[in-house]
Amino acid sequence: MLDRELAGQVLRAARARGGSFAELFVEERSSLTIRLDDGKIEELTSGLDRGAGVRVGHGTSFGYAFSNRLDRDALLEAASAAAAAVAEGAGAGQVVDLRTQDPPVVHRAERPAEAVAAAEKVAWLRGVDDVARAFSPHVRQVSASYGDSVQRVLIATSDGRWVEESRPRIRLGVQVVAGRDGVIQTGFHGPAGLAGVEFFDEHPPAKTAEVAAKRAVTMLDAGPAPAGEMPVVLAPGMGGVLFHEACGHPLEADIVDKEASVYRGRIGEQLASSLVTGVDDATIPNAWGSFSFDDEGVPAQRTILFQDGALQALMYDRLRAEKDGVSSTGNGRRQSYAHPPIPRMTNSYILNGPSKADDVLASTERGVYVTALGGGQTNPASGDFVFGVSEGYLIEGGKVTSPVRGANLTGRAIEVMSAVDAVADDFDTWEGVCGKDGQGVPVGSGSPTLRIARITVGGTGG
Amino acid sequence: MAERVADLADLSAAAVEAARDHEAVEAYAEESRRTEVTAHKGEVEGLTFAESRGVGIRLIAKGRLGYAYAADPSLDEVREAVARARQNAELATEDEFNALPPAKPVEPIAALFRQDQATLPTERKVSVALDLEHLAVSADPRVTKVDQAGYGDAVSRVAIASTAGVTAEYGRTDCWAVVSALAEGDGETQAGWSFRVARELGELDWGSVAQEAVERSARLLGAVKPASGRVPVVLDPFAGSSFLGVLAGALSAESVQKQRSLFADLLGEAVGSPLLTLVDDGRTLDGPAAAPFDDEGVPTGRTELIARGTLMAFLHNTYTAMRGGTHSTGNAKRGGYRTPPGVGTTNFFVQPETSPVSDILRQAEGGVLIQDVSGVHSGANPISGEFSVGATGLRIANGELGEPLREMTVASTVPEMLKGIAAVGDDLRFFTSVGVPTILIAEMTVAGV
Repeated sequence: MLDRELAGQVLRAARARGGSFAELFVEERSSLTIRLDDGKIEELTSGLDRGAGVRVGHGTSFGYAFSNRLDRDALLEAASAAAAAVAEGAGAGQVVDLRTQDPPVVHRAERPAEAVAAAEKVAWLRGVDDVARAFSPHVRQVSASYGDSVQRVLIATSDGRWVEESRPRIRLGVQVVAGRDGVIQTGFHGPAGLAGVEFFDEHPPAKTAEVAAKRAVTMLDAGPAPAGEMPVVLAPGMGGVLFHEACGHPLEADIVDKEASVYRGRIGEQLASSLVTGVDDATIPNAWGSFSFDDEGVPAQRTILFQDGALQALMYDRLRAEKDGVSSTGNGRRQSYAHPPIPRMTNSYILNGPSKADDVLASTERGVYVTALGGGQTNPASGDFVFGVSEGYLIEGGKVTSPVRGANLTGRAIEVMSAVDAVADDFDTWEGVCGKDGQGVPVGSGSPTLRIARITVGGTGG
Repeated sequence: MAERVADLADLSAAAVEAARDHEAVEAYAEESRRTEVTAHKGEVEGLTFAESRGVGIRLIAKGRLGYAYAADPSLDEVREAVARARQNAELATEDEFNALPPAKPVEPIAALFRQDQATLPTERKVSVALDLEHLAVSADPRVTKVDQAGYGDAVSRVAIASTAGVTAEYGRTDCWAVVSALAEGDGETQAGWSFRVARELGELDWGSVAQEAVERSARLLGAVKPASGRVPVVLDPFAGSSFLGVLAGALSAESVQKQRSLFADLLGEAVGSPLLTLVDDGRTLDGPAAAPFDDEGVPTGRTELIARGTLMAFLHNTYTAMRGGTHSTGNAKRGGYRTPPGVGTTNFFVQPETSPVSDILRQAEGGVLIQDVSGVHSGANPISGEFSVGATGLRIANGELGEPLREMTVASTVPEMLKGIAAVGDDLRFFTSVGVPTILIAEMTVAGV
């Protein structure tokens, strides 16, 4: 995308006034999105994006400038704009010779999506529509979207890193609306990967359609959710979603640095049940939140966040790592060249435990079984969080019984994670796009079935 | 910026010229220049400059729609994008309602672009960000730090051209201030935020942004969980604005036509309290989302969606209007040049009434004021209208705000909530494109313990 000589020039221009480092991030992204709605292929969009961002760091401050022009003039102009953020020029900083870095792991697309005809992708969506509508006469509406993209990045840094990576991403999501007797419910499912179309060998579109349809149709029978404190069993994957929001965000080093984290200064303490071991891992082959290098050119790695409930580590980008005198954990990510990198999760997982899912449910007298969360929010400063339950059931006498609607879960991170009293061995994942500071990045969450002994369920029932 | 204006028009004209017989082609070109400054501990934390430009091509052939976009394209790349859109159109389903809007005269809104703002020096922006943080950490001894304090602005320009004869162009300036303050006491931390937007710095009251964020964080210190029960609920404008997003989705003709709206069959019926009037107005300068035309070049206007509780209309773009046999309300909306137009709001607001907030608090004796809700986007079902969301707020006693409350959930349905509106305040406040005054709901389920 750019030769090393020009990259070196840009970095030297960026360090014209000093600062602790400079970095150039160049990106080209091609994408295809296909949307089916109301039985029609409504839209096919092909996109071509490109641009470059130049960052100059000085202490924990930074200057950032980007442009979607990649010519020499535009890049040098961006470099001097970013350099201007260094208040007092301390003389030019050094730029080390750029050397290619070897990736710790490569996420290859076996059958690249760009080599598959759009007509075939259209056929997958038509198949999804058929399967979902055939699932039940109560299915009223189906919308589905298919997306693939290849993001090619080039990262060059003043300390000599030269990183090139190609990230193929693929996703097929289905939303089903079911209705009966004036009651309307929706169900969504959308697995995603850092892979080619071989991803659908394991996640066939028809299966995705079925899961979404079942979710919507089942919820038609839902009664009001109970309200109050009770045990909650989270189905595989859902504990990971909660872990991401409630524990993951307060462990991002920028949140901690701003003294806005409930975990600040507490490494080594027992802050979750001893059954909880949690990691952030960008090296999982072909997982949605994975990469070879983060967006600052740091190799992907696996970071243990909680070991048997004891807090082990924060997630760092280069800026905050330098401030704390530690190494980056490879969590510096950005949505695109238009955004400076910040600490972000990759794939955040709670690992398998010793129990069996059936036993966990059978030993729960009364509670709620959550099979899909609608997403949630956390106040990292207090650890308060809230989650909507998009698919949930009552547990009565150790059995999963009738579905419930309108439930949500609220609590505080440390209390709730300490209240985990059973972790099973049936790990699964859930893929999403996480938003922070106006930037969306692909993240994976994962967990086995787990039980929280007591948590507040908000609902409209008694 | 000024010398590039012609560029946008050239790019969109090149796309229109590349159309073949019987093809309808539209080019949406935009460019923007943004600056953002964040401050932390008395220093500039981050300074970001951004320039971007792109063109999105919509092509309709035999009722089939294809779309393609390119970032900062050359004239040749624009022509290539037209070719890619043409290929995409071949695979799309034929739909007789796919059409480009005809050209209509557009009344410009000169006040959207402020020359002083477009040329504001970076040093001034930096000083505003530093002042914001300073004001936030020095107003109250319990608030000594911020999670975020920042100033941002953008100068942008949009040009649309089509084979249907549309050629429209306008520029705008926007600036904003945001503070998220952290209050501490007894080992507890509470966050509170505020945000304001204006067209130029001289109209941006950033002092009040800092002050509000401080007040809203400090007053939550010592919060307890409330008991569960049905009580009067006052939504302050911050909390109320979160619910307006759900209403916007349900009032889009796209949702209605696709059977995804809880308002689908209710036109002409009472859907809310007689105190509720809900308006979309793309021309009022009171709201930050004013624009002379929408994202497909149709002039903006004023639409009363709910008048005195009765559902009067839905929001339309050209496609939904064709399909529904009506005319576009000027509500085509895109997420920038990368997406074709859907339906969206402009300035979308609840008409203020005459009740001062103090009167509303007196009416809500024994209830709670909700100052922030979280999880509305995930916790509310836009189709069934059911929601259960997390909230923070304050108890109301003797007509005044009392004990702070946390880990509380509020559950109801949108229809019940709209019908339960018992008072509407006189304090309309806009947040980006949605605006709402303080609102009293007669009764809602609040769960805590």
